[in-house]
Amino acid sequence: MTTTSLELAIARHYAKNQRWGFIWALWTAVLWGAWYVPSTALWFEPPYVSIDPNDLALRLTATAVMTWIHAIAVMLFLLVWNMTLGKLRDYGRTMVRFQRISKWYALASLCGGPMAIFGSYMAMGFVGPVFAAVTSLFYPVIGAVIARLWYKEKISTRAAIGMAIIIMGGMVIYGPGIFGELGVTNTNAWLGYLGGIFSAIGWGTEGAVAARAMDVTDPDVGIQCRFSFEILFWSIFILPALAFYIDMPVGQLLIETMQNNRAMLWIMLAAACHAYCYTSFYRSFSLIGVGRGEAIGNLYGVFAVAFVAIFTLQLPPWYFLLGLLLTVIGSFVMFREPAESTAELRSVNAAESST
Amino acid sequence: MKIHQKGFLLIALSQTKDSWDDDLVKLAQAEYNLTGSVAINGLYVALNELAAAGLIVRTQEKLIERVAVQARVSFCYGVSEFGRTRMLETRLHADNVISN
Repeated sequence: MTTTSLELAIARHYAKNQRWGFIWALWTAVLWGAWYVPSTALWFEPPYVSIDPNDLALRLTATAVMTWIHAIAVMLFLLVWNMTLGKLRDYGRTMVRFQRISKWYALASLCGGPMAIFGSYMAMGFVGPVFAAVTSLFYPVIGAVIARLWYKEKISTRAAIGMAIIIMGGMVIYGPGIFGELGVTNTNAWLGYLGGIFSAIGWGTEGAVAARAMDVTDPDVGIQCRFSFEILFWSIFILPALAFYIDMPVGQLLIETMQNNRAMLWIMLAAACHAYCYTSFYRSFSLIGVGRGEAIGNLYGVFAVAFVAIFTLQLPPWYFLLGLLLTVIGSFVMFREPAESTAELRSVNAAESST
Repeated sequence: MKIHQKGFLLIALSQTKDSWDDDLVKLAQAEYNLTGSVAINGLYVALNELAAAGLIVRTQEKLIERVAVQARVSFCYGVSEFGRTRMLETRLHADNVISN
Protein backbone atom coordinates (compact mmCIF):
# COMPACT_ATOMS: atom_id res chain seq x y z
CA MET A 1 0.00 0.00 0.00
CA THR A 2 1.50 3.35 -0.98
CA THR A 3 0.78 6.86 0.20
CA THR A 4 -0.43 7.66 -3.30
CA SER A 5 -3.09 4.95 -3.26
CA LEU A 6 -4.27 6.19 0.16
CA GLU A 7 -4.43 9.77 -1.13
CA LEU A 8 -6.34 8.58 -4.16
CA ALA A 9 -8.80 6.67 -1.96
CA ILE A 10 -9.34 9.76 0.24
CA ALA A 11 -9.91 11.94 -2.83
CA ARG A 12 -12.38 9.33 -4.12
CA HIS A 13 -14.16 9.31 -0.75
CA TYR A 14 -14.60 13.10 -0.73
CA ALA A 15 -15.69 13.09 -4.38
CA LYS A 16 -18.30 10.41 -3.61
CA ASN A 17 -19.75 12.44 -0.72
CA GLN A 18 -19.84 15.57 -2.87
CA ARG A 19 -21.48 13.68 -5.75
CA TRP A 20 -24.19 12.29 -3.45
CA GLY A 21 -24.80 15.78 -2.07
CA PHE A 22 -25.37 17.10 -5.59
CA ILE A 23 -27.49 14.07 -6.55
CA TRP A 24 -29.81 14.69 -3.58
CA ALA A 25 -29.97 18.41 -4.44
CA LEU A 26 -30.85 17.54 -8.04
CA TRP A 27 -33.67 15.25 -6.87
CA THR A 28 -34.92 18.18 -4.82
CA ALA A 29 -35.13 20.22 -8.01
CA VAL A 30 -36.87 17.48 -10.04
CA LEU A 31 -39.53 16.80 -7.39
CA TRP A 32 -40.02 20.46 -6.57
CA GLY A 33 -40.60 21.21 -10.24
CA ALA A 34 -43.13 18.38 -10.39
CA TRP A 35 -44.85 19.74 -7.24
CA TYR A 36 -45.98 22.90 -9.04
CA VAL A 37 -48.20 20.90 -11.44
CA PRO A 38 -50.61 19.28 -8.91
CA SER A 39 -50.39 22.29 -6.56
CA THR A 40 -51.62 24.66 -9.26
CA ALA A 41 -54.21 22.14 -10.53
CA LEU A 42 -55.71 22.01 -7.03
CA TRP A 43 -56.89 25.63 -7.39
CA PHE A 44 -59.01 24.53 -10.37
CA GLU A 45 -60.93 21.91 -8.39
CA PRO A 46 -63.98 22.34 -6.13
CA PRO A 47 -64.25 23.75 -3.52
CA TYR A 48 -61.35 26.06 -4.45
CA VAL A 49 -62.37 26.88 -8.04
CA SER A 50 -65.71 28.37 -6.95
CA ILE A 51 -64.18 30.82 -4.47
CA ASP A 52 -64.57 34.42 -5.60
CA PRO A 53 -61.10 35.90 -6.28
CA ASN A 54 -62.21 39.04 -4.42
CA ASP A 55 -63.25 37.13 -1.32
CA LEU A 56 -59.96 37.65 0.43
CA ALA A 57 -60.71 35.98 3.77
CA LEU A 58 -62.20 32.86 2.22
CA ARG A 59 -59.32 32.50 -0.23
CA LEU A 60 -56.76 32.76 2.56
CA THR A 61 -58.71 30.24 4.63
CA ALA A 62 -58.80 27.89 1.64
CA THR A 63 -55.03 28.27 1.30
CA ALA A 64 -54.61 27.40 4.98
CA VAL A 65 -56.85 24.33 4.66
CA MET A 66 -55.03 22.99 1.60
CA THR A 67 -51.62 23.59 3.20
CA TRP A 68 -52.74 21.68 6.31
CA ILE A 69 -54.08 18.67 4.39
CA HIS A 70 -50.91 18.78 2.28
CA ALA A 71 -48.73 18.69 5.43
CA ILE A 72 -50.61 15.68 6.81
CA ALA A 73 -50.22 13.82 3.51
CA VAL A 74 -46.49 14.67 3.43
CA MET A 75 -46.19 13.26 6.96
CA LEU A 76 -47.74 9.95 5.81
CA PHE A 77 -45.21 9.63 2.98
CA LEU A 78 -42.36 10.43 5.38
CA LEU A 79 -43.61 7.78 7.81
CA VAL A 80 -43.38 5.20 5.02
CA TRP A 81 -39.85 6.40 4.14
CA ASN A 82 -38.50 6.29 7.69
CA MET A 83 -40.27 3.02 8.47
CA THR A 84 -38.57 1.47 5.44
CA LEU A 85 -35.17 2.78 6.55
CA GLY A 86 -35.74 1.70 10.19
CA LYS A 87 -35.52 5.26 11.51
CA LEU A 88 -38.89 5.61 13.23
CA ARG A 89 -37.45 5.06 16.72
CA ASP A 90 -34.79 7.66 16.05
CA TYR A 91 -37.60 10.04 15.12
CA GLY A 92 -39.15 9.57 18.57
CA ARG A 93 -35.77 9.96 20.27
CA THR A 94 -35.16 13.24 18.41
CA MET A 95 -38.66 14.69 18.89
CA VAL A 96 -38.52 14.36 22.69
CA ARG A 97 -35.35 16.46 22.95
CA PHE A 98 -37.35 19.60 22.28
CA GLN A 99 -35.58 22.13 24.45
CA ARG A 100 -32.14 21.58 22.97
CA ILE A 101 -32.65 20.05 19.54
CA SER A 102 -36.09 19.62 18.01
CA LYS A 103 -37.11 23.21 18.80
CA TRP A 104 -35.01 24.17 15.78
CA TYR A 105 -37.17 21.91 13.61
CA ALA A 106 -40.23 23.59 15.12
CA LEU A 107 -38.83 26.97 14.05
CA ALA A 108 -37.89 25.56 10.62
CA SER A 109 -41.47 24.31 10.23
CA LEU A 110 -42.83 27.80 10.96
CA CYS A 111 -40.51 29.26 8.30
CA GLY A 112 -41.17 26.51 5.74
CA GLY A 113 -44.87 25.86 6.36
CA PRO A 114 -47.06 28.78 7.47
CA MET A 115 -44.54 31.17 5.85
CA ALA A 116 -43.09 29.55 2.68
CA ILE A 117 -45.61 26.91 1.51
CA PHE A 118 -48.57 29.08 2.52
CA GLY A 119 -46.87 32.07 0.87
CA SER A 120 -46.29 30.08 -2.30
CA TYR A 121 -49.95 28.96 -2.45
CA MET A 122 -50.91 32.64 -1.91
CA ALA A 123 -48.63 33.73 -4.76
CA MET A 124 -50.10 31.01 -7.03
CA GLY A 125 -53.67 31.87 -6.09
CA PHE A 126 -53.50 35.69 -6.12
CA VAL A 127 -50.98 36.33 -8.94
CA GLY A 128 -50.06 33.09 -10.72
CA PRO A 129 -47.72 30.08 -10.72
CA VAL A 130 -45.00 31.86 -12.74
CA PHE A 131 -44.78 34.66 -10.22
CA ALA A 132 -44.72 32.12 -7.36
CA ALA A 133 -41.81 30.30 -8.99
CA VAL A 134 -39.81 33.49 -9.72
CA THR A 135 -39.97 34.88 -6.19
CA SER A 136 -38.90 31.55 -4.72
CA LEU A 137 -35.78 31.63 -6.92
CA PHE A 138 -34.13 34.01 -4.47
CA TYR A 139 -34.35 31.74 -1.44
CA PRO A 140 -30.79 30.30 -1.78
CA VAL A 141 -29.31 33.78 -1.36
CA ILE A 142 -31.21 34.21 1.90
CA GLY A 143 -30.27 30.70 3.09
CA ALA A 144 -26.58 31.11 2.20
CA VAL A 145 -26.32 34.54 3.86
CA ILE A 146 -27.96 33.33 7.10
CA ALA A 147 -25.80 30.16 7.17
CA ARG A 148 -22.70 32.27 6.54
CA LEU A 149 -23.46 34.85 9.24
CA TRP A 150 -24.89 32.46 11.82
CA TYR A 151 -22.60 29.43 11.78
CA LYS A 152 -19.91 30.44 9.30
CA GLU A 153 -20.78 28.03 6.50
CA LYS A 154 -18.03 28.22 3.89
CA ILE A 155 -19.16 29.56 0.52
CA SER A 156 -16.31 29.62 -1.99
CA THR A 157 -16.16 32.18 -4.80
CA ARG A 158 -16.87 29.38 -7.28
CA ALA A 159 -19.98 28.31 -5.35
CA ALA A 160 -21.21 31.92 -5.17
CA ILE A 161 -20.68 32.41 -8.93
CA GLY A 162 -22.51 29.15 -9.68
CA MET A 163 -25.39 30.23 -7.44
CA ALA A 164 -25.64 33.61 -9.21
CA ILE A 165 -25.66 31.95 -12.68
CA ILE A 166 -28.41 29.51 -11.62
CA ILE A 167 -30.58 32.34 -10.29
CA MET A 168 -29.98 34.28 -13.51
CA GLY A 169 -31.03 31.20 -15.52
CA GLY A 170 -34.24 30.98 -13.50
CA MET A 171 -34.94 34.65 -14.16
CA VAL A 172 -34.46 34.12 -17.91
CA ILE A 173 -36.88 31.16 -17.87
CA TYR A 174 -39.62 32.91 -15.92
CA GLY A 175 -38.86 36.61 -16.43
CA PRO A 176 -40.78 37.22 -19.70
CA GLY A 177 -43.81 35.20 -18.57
CA ILE A 178 -44.19 37.14 -15.38
CA PHE A 179 -45.33 40.29 -17.20
CA GLY A 180 -48.51 38.55 -18.30
CA GLU A 181 -49.35 37.67 -14.73
CA LEU A 182 -48.36 41.06 -13.29
CA GLY A 183 -50.54 42.81 -15.85
CA VAL A 184 -53.68 41.03 -14.68
CA THR A 185 -56.01 43.48 -12.93
CA ASN A 186 -56.57 42.03 -9.52
CA THR A 187 -57.07 44.31 -6.55
CA ASN A 188 -55.81 41.60 -4.20
CA ALA A 189 -52.62 40.91 -6.18
CA TRP A 190 -50.58 42.54 -3.41
CA LEU A 191 -51.35 39.48 -1.29
CA GLY A 192 -49.74 37.31 -3.97
CA TYR A 193 -46.65 39.55 -3.98
CA LEU A 194 -46.51 39.33 -0.19
CA GLY A 195 -46.86 35.55 -0.47
CA GLY A 196 -43.95 35.47 -2.93
CA ILE A 197 -41.73 37.37 -0.50
CA PHE A 198 -42.85 35.04 2.31
CA SER A 199 -41.90 31.98 0.26
CA ALA A 200 -38.38 33.28 -0.53
CA ILE A 201 -37.64 34.34 3.04
CA GLY A 202 -39.37 31.28 4.50
CA TRP A 203 -37.55 28.61 2.48
CA GLY A 204 -34.18 30.38 2.76
CA THR A 205 -34.51 30.68 6.53
CA GLU A 206 -35.85 27.16 6.90
CA GLY A 207 -32.73 25.63 5.35
CA ALA A 208 -30.40 27.58 7.61
CA VAL A 209 -32.42 26.89 10.78
CA ALA A 210 -32.90 23.18 10.06
CA ALA A 211 -29.19 22.73 9.30
CA ARG A 212 -28.54 24.02 12.82
CA ALA A 213 -30.30 20.98 14.29
CA MET A 214 -29.15 18.60 11.58
CA ASP A 215 -25.50 18.79 12.62
CA VAL A 216 -26.43 16.60 15.63
CA THR A 217 -29.39 14.69 14.15
CA ASP A 218 -30.32 12.60 11.13
CA PRO A 219 -31.70 14.54 8.12
CA ASP A 220 -34.47 11.98 7.36
CA VAL A 221 -35.60 12.13 10.96
CA GLY A 222 -35.24 15.90 10.96
CA ILE A 223 -37.65 16.39 8.08
CA GLN A 224 -40.25 14.23 9.80
CA CYS A 225 -39.85 16.30 12.99
CA ARG A 226 -40.25 19.45 10.92
CA PHE A 227 -43.55 18.28 9.37
CA SER A 228 -44.83 17.02 12.76
CA PHE A 229 -44.44 20.54 14.12
CA GLU A 230 -46.01 22.08 11.04
CA ILE A 231 -49.13 19.92 11.46
CA LEU A 232 -49.25 20.88 15.15
CA PHE A 233 -49.07 24.59 14.37
CA TRP A 234 -51.88 24.39 11.81
CA SER A 235 -54.05 22.10 13.98
CA ILE A 236 -53.67 23.83 17.32
CA PHE A 237 -53.22 27.49 16.47
CA ILE A 238 -53.96 28.63 12.93
CA LEU A 239 -57.01 26.66 11.78
CA PRO A 240 -58.89 26.84 15.12
CA ALA A 241 -58.20 30.61 15.18
CA LEU A 242 -59.65 30.96 11.67
CA ALA A 243 -62.69 28.81 12.55
CA PHE A 244 -63.56 30.17 15.98
CA TYR A 245 -62.33 33.78 16.04
CA ILE A 246 -62.96 34.84 12.43
CA ASP A 247 -65.79 32.34 11.90
CA MET A 248 -64.45 31.05 8.59
CA PRO A 249 -65.86 27.77 7.12
CA VAL A 250 -62.75 25.70 7.84
CA GLY A 251 -64.74 22.51 8.52
CA GLN A 252 -66.83 22.91 5.39
CA LEU A 253 -63.77 23.46 3.17
CA LEU A 254 -62.11 20.48 4.79
CA ILE A 255 -65.08 18.17 4.21
CA GLU A 256 -65.62 19.38 0.63
CA THR A 257 -61.92 18.84 -0.17
CA MET A 258 -61.96 15.34 1.32
CA GLN A 259 -65.12 14.49 -0.63
CA ASN A 260 -63.62 15.58 -3.95
CA ASN A 261 -61.52 12.70 -5.24
CA ARG A 262 -59.74 14.83 -7.85
CA ALA A 263 -58.78 17.47 -5.26
CA MET A 264 -57.47 14.71 -2.98
CA LEU A 265 -55.57 13.14 -5.87
CA TRP A 266 -53.81 16.46 -6.59
CA ILE A 267 -53.01 16.88 -2.90
CA MET A 268 -51.61 13.34 -2.63
CA LEU A 269 -49.50 13.82 -5.77
CA ALA A 270 -48.23 17.18 -4.50
CA ALA A 271 -47.49 15.66 -1.09
CA ALA A 272 -45.59 12.69 -2.58
CA CYS A 273 -43.43 15.13 -4.57
CA HIS A 274 -42.89 17.40 -1.60
CA ALA A 275 -42.15 14.63 0.92
CA TYR A 276 -39.30 13.17 -1.10
CA CYS A 277 -38.24 16.59 -2.39
CA TYR A 278 -37.79 17.69 1.22
CA THR A 279 -36.01 14.46 2.17
CA SER A 280 -33.52 15.04 -0.64
CA PHE A 281 -33.27 18.73 0.32
CA TYR A 282 -32.30 17.99 3.94
CA ARG A 283 -29.93 15.18 2.92
CA SER A 284 -28.07 17.51 0.55
CA PHE A 285 -27.56 20.12 3.30
CA SER A 286 -25.54 17.77 5.46
CA LEU A 287 -23.27 16.76 2.56
CA ILE A 288 -22.73 19.96 0.55
CA GLY A 289 -24.13 22.69 2.82
CA VAL A 290 -27.21 24.90 2.80
CA GLY A 291 -25.97 27.38 0.16
CA ARG A 292 -25.02 24.76 -2.45
CA GLY A 293 -28.00 22.51 -1.70
CA GLU A 294 -30.47 25.35 -2.09
CA ALA A 295 -28.78 26.69 -5.23
CA ILE A 296 -28.91 23.32 -7.04
CA GLY A 297 -32.43 22.90 -5.70
CA ASN A 298 -33.20 26.10 -7.59
CA LEU A 299 -33.05 24.11 -10.82
CA TYR A 300 -36.69 23.36 -10.00
CA GLY A 301 -37.45 26.28 -12.32
CA VAL A 302 -36.26 24.23 -15.30
CA PHE A 303 -38.12 21.11 -14.20
CA ALA A 304 -41.34 23.00 -13.42
CA VAL A 305 -41.44 24.33 -17.01
CA ALA A 306 -40.51 20.91 -18.40
CA PHE A 307 -43.27 19.16 -16.42
CA VAL A 308 -45.86 21.75 -17.44
CA ALA A 309 -44.79 21.23 -21.09
CA ILE A 310 -45.19 17.47 -20.69
CA PHE A 311 -48.67 17.72 -19.14
CA THR A 312 -50.03 20.46 -21.40
CA LEU A 313 -48.23 19.25 -24.55
CA GLN A 314 -47.13 22.81 -25.23
CA LEU A 315 -43.51 23.49 -26.06
CA PRO A 316 -41.81 26.05 -23.79
CA PRO A 317 -40.77 29.36 -25.44
CA TRP A 318 -37.29 29.83 -26.96
CA TYR A 319 -35.89 31.69 -23.95
CA PHE A 320 -36.41 28.51 -21.92
CA LEU A 321 -33.39 27.02 -23.73
CA LEU A 322 -31.25 30.04 -22.82
CA GLY A 323 -32.34 29.78 -19.17
CA LEU A 324 -31.72 26.03 -19.23
CA LEU A 325 -28.21 26.61 -20.61
CA LEU A 326 -27.44 29.13 -17.86
CA THR A 327 -28.69 26.89 -15.06
CA VAL A 328 -26.72 23.92 -16.39
CA ILE A 329 -23.55 26.08 -16.63
CA GLY A 330 -24.17 27.34 -13.07
CA SER A 331 -24.56 23.78 -11.80
CA PHE A 332 -21.33 22.69 -13.47
CA VAL A 333 -19.46 25.67 -12.02
CA MET A 334 -20.57 24.51 -8.56
CA PHE A 335 -19.98 20.83 -9.22
CA ARG A 336 -16.44 21.46 -10.42
CA GLU A 337 -15.56 22.93 -7.05
CA PRO A 338 -12.82 20.75 -5.43
CA ALA A 339 -14.44 17.93 -3.42
CA GLU A 340 -12.24 18.83 -0.43
CA SER A 341 -14.14 22.12 -0.06
CA THR A 342 -17.33 20.22 0.80
CA ALA A 343 -15.48 17.79 3.10
CA GLU A 344 -15.66 20.45 5.82
CA LEU A 345 -18.56 22.84 5.38
CA ARG A 346 -17.92 25.27 8.21
CA SER A 347 -15.07 27.51 9.24
CA VAL A 348 -14.93 25.70 12.59
CA ASN A 349 -12.74 28.14 14.52
CA ALA A 350 -14.94 31.03 13.47
CA ALA A 351 -18.08 29.02 14.24
CA GLU A 352 -16.81 28.30 17.77
CA SER A 353 -16.60 31.97 18.55
CA SER A 354 -20.02 32.65 17.05
CA THR A 355 -22.12 30.04 18.90
CA MET B 1 -35.29 6.33 26.23
CA LYS B 2 -32.06 5.90 24.31
CA ILE B 3 -30.32 8.88 22.78
CA HIS B 4 -30.69 9.38 19.01
CA GLN B 5 -28.03 7.69 16.89
CA LYS B 6 -25.99 10.71 15.83
CA GLY B 7 -25.95 11.88 19.44
CA PHE B 8 -24.76 8.43 20.52
CA LEU B 9 -21.88 8.53 18.01
CA LEU B 10 -20.79 11.93 19.32
CA ILE B 11 -20.96 10.82 22.96
CA ALA B 12 -19.12 7.56 22.25
CA LEU B 13 -16.40 9.46 20.43
CA SER B 14 -16.08 12.08 23.15
CA GLN B 15 -15.33 9.36 25.72
CA THR B 16 -12.19 8.27 23.89
CA LYS B 17 -9.34 10.34 22.53
CA ASP B 18 -9.79 9.03 18.99
CA SER B 19 -11.77 6.15 17.46
CA TRP B 20 -11.82 4.40 14.10
CA ASP B 21 -15.08 4.55 12.16
CA ASP B 22 -15.41 0.74 12.09
CA ASP B 23 -15.23 0.57 15.91
CA LEU B 24 -17.79 3.36 16.31
CA VAL B 25 -20.14 1.69 13.86
CA LYS B 26 -19.84 -1.63 15.76
CA LEU B 27 -20.62 0.18 19.04
CA ALA B 28 -23.72 1.80 17.53
CA GLN B 29 -24.80 -1.50 15.97
CA ALA B 30 -24.64 -3.19 19.36
CA GLU B 31 -26.44 -0.31 21.10
CA TYR B 32 -29.34 -0.20 18.64
CA ASN B 33 -29.36 -3.84 17.43
CA LEU B 34 -28.74 -2.69 13.85
CA THR B 35 -28.13 -5.18 11.08
CA GLY B 36 -28.17 -4.94 7.30
CA SER B 37 -26.20 -2.82 4.89
CA VAL B 38 -28.69 0.08 4.85
CA ALA B 39 -28.42 0.65 8.59
CA ILE B 40 -24.64 0.17 8.64
CA ASN B 41 -24.04 2.50 5.69
CA GLY B 42 -26.31 5.02 7.42
CA LEU B 43 -23.92 5.08 10.39
CA TYR B 44 -20.91 5.73 8.14
CA VAL B 45 -22.88 8.52 6.43
CA ALA B 46 -23.69 9.98 9.86
CA LEU B 47 -19.95 10.10 10.66
CA ASN B 48 -19.30 11.83 7.33
CA GLU B 49 -22.02 14.38 8.11
CA LEU B 50 -20.58 15.04 11.59
CA ALA B 51 -17.14 15.58 10.00
CA ALA B 52 -18.52 17.86 7.28
CA ALA B 53 -20.29 19.95 9.92
CA GLY B 54 -16.98 20.26 11.80
CA LEU B 55 -18.17 18.53 14.99
CA ILE B 56 -15.62 15.75 14.58
CA VAL B 57 -12.27 15.80 12.83
CA ARG B 58 -10.40 13.14 10.91
CA THR B 59 -7.12 12.44 12.71
CA GLN B 60 -5.82 9.41 10.77
CA GLU B 61 -6.75 7.37 7.77
CA LYS B 62 -5.90 3.92 6.42
CA LEU B 63 -6.69 1.88 3.38
CA ILE B 64 -8.74 -1.29 3.84
CA GLU B 65 -8.04 -3.73 1.03
CA ARG B 66 -11.08 -5.83 0.05
CA VAL B 67 -11.45 -8.91 -2.10
CA ALA B 68 -13.02 -8.28 -5.53
CA VAL B 69 -14.03 -4.70 -4.72
CA GLN B 70 -12.19 -1.39 -4.62
CA ALA B 71 -10.14 -0.63 -1.49
CA ARG B 72 -12.00 1.47 1.07
CA VAL B 73 -10.58 4.29 3.15
CA SER B 74 -11.18 4.12 6.89
CA PHE B 75 -10.96 7.20 9.12
CA CYS B 76 -10.02 7.73 12.74
CA TYR B 77 -12.09 10.53 14.30
CA GLY B 78 -11.86 12.81 17.32
CA VAL B 79 -14.37 15.36 18.65
CA SER B 80 -13.38 18.94 17.77
CA GLU B 81 -13.64 21.85 20.19
CA PHE B 82 -16.63 23.04 18.15
CA GLY B 83 -18.16 19.57 18.54
CA ARG B 84 -17.74 19.76 22.32
CA THR B 85 -19.38 23.19 22.31
CA ARG B 86 -22.33 21.81 20.29
CA MET B 87 -22.57 18.82 22.67
CA LEU B 88 -22.84 21.21 25.61
CA GLU B 89 -25.44 23.34 23.82
CA THR B 90 -27.54 20.31 22.94
CA ARG B 91 -26.95 18.59 26.29
CA LEU B 92 -25.39 15.52 24.77
CA HIS B 93 -23.39 13.79 27.51
CA ALA B 94 -22.62 10.31 28.77
CA ASP B 95 -25.59 10.25 31.20
CA ASN B 96 -27.88 10.17 28.16
CA VAL B 97 -26.59 6.78 27.04
CA ILE B 98 -28.85 4.36 28.90
CA SER B 99 -29.30 0.97 27.33
CA ASN B 100 -32.78 -0.38 27.80
